[in-house]
Amino acid sequence: MDFSFLDQLWVARFPLLKGLGVSISISLSSIVVGTVLGVFVGLALTYGVRPLKWLVRGYTDFIRGTPVLVLVLASYYVLGTVGINLGPFQAGVLALAIFCSSHVGELVRGALQSIPKGQTEAAKAIGLTFPQTFAYVLGPQALRQALPAWVNTAAEMVKASTLLSIIGVAELLLRTQEVISRTFMSLEFYFFAGFLYFVINYGIERFGRYVERKTAVPS
Amino acid sequence: MIKTLTMAASFAVAALAAMPAAAQQPSSKLDEVLSRGHLILGTGSTNAPWHFKSAEDKLQGFDIDMGRIIAKALFGDPEKIEFVNQSSDARIPNITTGKVDITCQFMTVTGERAQQIAFTIPYYREGVGLMLKADGKYADYEALKAGGSSVTVSVLQNVYAEDMVHAALPEATVDQYESVDLIYQALESGRADAAATDQSSLAWYMTQNPGRYKDAGYGWNPQTYACGVKRGDQDWLNFVNTALHEAMTGVEFDFYAKSFKTWFGKDLMPPQIGFPVEYK
Repeated sequence: MDFSFLDQLWVARFPLLKGLGVSISISLSSIVVGTVLGVFVGLALTYGVRPLKWLVRGYTDFIRGTPVLVLVLASYYVLGTVGINLGPFQAGVLALAIFCSSHVGELVRGALQSIPKGQTEAAKAIGLTFPQTFAYVLGPQALRQALPAWVNTAAEMVKASTLLSIIGVAELLLRTQEVISRTFMSLEFYFFAGFLYFVINYGIERFGRYVERKTAVPS
Repeated sequence: MIKTLTMAASFAVAALAAMPAAAQQPSSKLDEVLSRGHLILGTGSTNAPWHFKSAEDKLQGFDIDMGRIIAKALFGDPEKIEFVNQSSDARIPNITTGKVDITCQFMTVTGERAQQIAFTIPYYREGVGLMLKADGKYADYEALKAGGSSVTVSVLQNVYAEDMVHAALPEATVDQYESVDLIYQALESGRADAAATDQSSLAWYMTQNPGRYKDAGYGWNPQTYACGVKRGDQDWLNFVNTALHEAMTGVEFDFYAKSFKTWFGKDLMPPQIGFPVEYK
């Protein structure tokens, strides 16, 4: 049994590797786009003027309160009916990036609000502009605060990438299911896929730790 | 200057050539597919022997062959297909939102679905069977029926799943699973005593695993499989119907019969020559 699983794994190596590649590129692009968007969302939530703040608050609450699967289906089907025809891959990445941005937005808001107000005032007192204050005073501290939670969100995105199999993106889970439908070895191949997802998430976690070390306050 | 003139002339010729076509009634999906040069077929990739990947990572199966029949009728080339990979849930949405020209994905014809999409003529009649482990507790259908509610049947998730199993085993416990391989897994691991699914799938699985399983010897619940297209385009529907019909009764019969033999292991009798079989 074990021997034949390894055999089947060898036969299926290219489809599974391709699936792994697609999963990684979905996760990576949605995390990058979502994080960049999320930082702006967080800034708007913390420092935005009233109407903007309300607007962005509505956006985050709505997106965070919606299941990712619904977002994925909506961006694939609903956008199509209003004339924006995205392929399954683009539609999926869009949905995940938007979901990610709402989470990162809240992380950034929380991190920024945890910094005592006195620091902003001190920065103003020595004549820093707001972008400078953010870049030299608030940003680095907020980064330290938000990093562990960000790693968590990034890992969530990797897991959410499996939902794209519903709209036919040939990511790792769908590739695995394809192999299973031919070999009928569900336990073995699902376990293998689980292992690969763990490896990706472990990589993200190590990356997070690395950045944490780099940005730690020297003691 | 001469270049510009030539271009203008060629545009004029092109416009003239296009006019008769434009003068016809609003164009059908058929014209769209023909001018595009390939068929966009919606189907899955995870259900043997209907639509699944070979070891070489190529889509194959009976549904895929139905698509090939249509592509061959359109272009004389069964390979001119662009596959849109979709889950079962996506079959009807992808038709109604125009993401596919046609879907062939073991779709059961129901009145409910026929209100949303237009079904082609059937290309297969499915029935449900029960598969048991060869060395399992229950010997056959009678033993399962005698087992009452202590018998657990694994079945593919479906609106009709519960009723379907209870039609054959009124007291059995029904466990629904997301995909075909999981219902076999439930049987294999002992979480279920029998797997109930389409007889085509069972036959395929038993030939892949000789000696490990057996058929309980009872079949029920006929259902019709047909492809689906968007409603309101009679031209396109007629074309697809003609292609499928001639594959089952006419010039493409050999193609259909060969596919039938490959995936279901049965030889088909050629249609009777002479008086058309349709009117018998």
